[in-house]
Amino acid sequence: MVSLVPKKVTGSNQSPQSRLHALGVERLGLIGKHSEQLMRAYLRGHFDEVSVNENVLDKLVKARILHRPDEQQPLALRPDVSRLIASLTEDERKRQVNADVAGQIEQIRTQVKHFSDAQYRGDYVASEHHFQLLSERVHDMTGQFSDAIDSLWNRLNSDFGFVSNLADKIRENELAQKQLRRLLDGFELIDFNELIELAQNSGPLRKLLVSQLQVTISDHSSSLLEVQKRLVELMARFRQQQERAQLITNMVAFLKQHPNFIVGDYTNRTQVPELVNQAAPIIASASIALDKVGEQQALGDMVRTLAISTNDYSEPLAAGTEFELEQELVVEARHQQLKEDVENYFIAVFDVTEPLSALQHLAQQALEWDAEMWLFQVIAEFEGLNASVRQRFTLQKLLKTVDMFNQVEVIEDVVLQVNLPQLVGEP
Amino acid sequence: MIEHGPLLEALLAGASICQVTDEEAFRRLQDEVVREELNHFLRPLNRRLAQSQDGSVFFLAYQELNSTAREHLGKEFKQTVQSLLPLLEWMQLVQEALGRDGSLTAGDTIKFQEFALRTEDNQSLRQRFNQLAADRFFKSNSEQLDQQLKQVFKRLKETGYLQQPHKDRQYYIVTGKIEQLIELVRFIKDEESLPLDDMPQQESMF
Repeated sequence: MVSLVPKKVTGSNQSPQSRLHALGVERLGLIGKHSEQLMRAYLRGHFDEVSVNENVLDKLVKARILHRPDEQQPLALRPDVSRLIASLTEDERKRQVNADVAGQIEQIRTQVKHFSDAQYRGDYVASEHHFQLLSERVHDMTGQFSDAIDSLWNRLNSDFGFVSNLADKIRENELAQKQLRRLLDGFELIDFNELIELAQNSGPLRKLLVSQLQVTISDHSSSLLEVQKRLVELMARFRQQQERAQLITNMVAFLKQHPNFIVGDYTNRTQVPELVNQAAPIIASASIALDKVGEQQALGDMVRTLAISTNDYSEPLAAGTEFELEQELVVEARHQQLKEDVENYFIAVFDVTEPLSALQHLAQQALEWDAEMWLFQVIAEFEGLNASVRQRFTLQKLLKTVDMFNQVEVIEDVVLQVNLPQLVGEP
Repeated sequence: MIEHGPLLEALLAGASICQVTDEEAFRRLQDEVVREELNHFLRPLNRRLAQSQDGSVFFLAYQELNSTAREHLGKEFKQTVQSLLPLLEWMQLVQEALGRDGSLTAGDTIKFQEFALRTEDNQSLRQRFNQLAADRFFKSNSEQLDQQLKQVFKRLKETGYLQQPHKDRQYYIVTGKIEQLIELVRFIKDEESLPLDDMPQQESMF
């Protein structure tokens, strides 16, 4: 068994206070020094005994950091250390809500008696010491409450995210509600009349036990009631989610088991259920109407804007098309225009003896086409020519290699030339 | 009345209005006066404004159930019932794939990429999704997961269960129509006295 006797620290002429101090520093230091391994033990549930040497292991056990729960078990963190880590890391899986108010009150009572006795005896040093301990007790208690409340809030705000499925969340929520009820019950145990009596007419005691505590407890109570409300709400949501998921799962299973299941003819009942009464869509359409004199001006303006965009194109509308097709017409007209311009370029080639660059022609004629589109159309036009006509022209592509590492070439320009000898040879 | 024109037109065209599909219209429809005005207008068209049980969706219902109306309702209802199983299975799949606590609810966001990745990585999900996509509600005839996913989401968008807020962004929001679907499931269960509650409880697999 682990020895509970504190290790002897240095000389024996020290006061108990300073011995305690030294011991605490040493043990806290131990925790810090082996934090890696201890944290791993916290997560795994047991301490890896080969990760440190025998000596260190011994120290950790003696320092009440590790213990062996029973002979068969591996070494593990002592519950207090585990709780300390949980609290430091706000790890809701392991954090505990300490709701034992009765025990705390009992200790406070005892401490008050120590204090009063010392005062009665006139031992100011002792009474001061007891008062300090008493304040610590009270603050410990309220601190535990606020820790517990903090932990409850934390769980709430994370939607119990530390457990992964809904059923676990529901259980955690139930647990939290129980802890909360115990805390509230504990608050009931704090009897301020009794505390007033305990404090008698000592100013500092009254302040500590009555006024301060009362404010804290009432703050905590209202906070807890809020948490409770939220927990209940969240629980309702969890239950709803659970019910819904269950409904879906069960319906799916049912429909799969009964592939020939036929639903009642709800739509032919005298009372058609509200949720199947969904009317057929009606499309509200409208057309141009000329029967209102007042609108003729507006419609006329509209027609004129249409005319502007299509007036370059004089070919009569194809039979059957109507003017709603203006968009297509505009595109069609531009394409036609491009073709015409390209044809003019081919004709222009006849007027010169030199090969004529397509881009040069584009610039000379101040045509608005995009160069790439223009070249593309010229090539397309050339390729599209009847073979016998095509022979009369020579089309030369001016290529540029884009990159020395691949074979991509870009057509920078094309030049077109009339093949004179053949022209002469033709009738 | 004129300010309700676009809303009225959407409703007539068969839209369901919920917080997700059109927040502003949904807010306006909370006003009793507006609803009366719309109903007044809808009466000659044999339509009236209706609401899902939980009040989360507005749509148009028939004012009077004549034979044409019934015929239409019958046809629609049959289709809805046929789509029940694939839609519910899809809801389960999403919940599992994305590791959610509850089943899909109106307002939930589904990121296409996330769902696609999770489905791709999990053999069982993938297989189930494969079967689901081929269902005649989703009508995917591709073997490629990518194509199947696209088709399924497209169908869900078409049928109004999902809304895609940005055309070029691949995330979707579940609309109130899913609540209507669940209401229908609950209704059928009660109406047909289906022994769903006594079914062997399958502990959820997630």
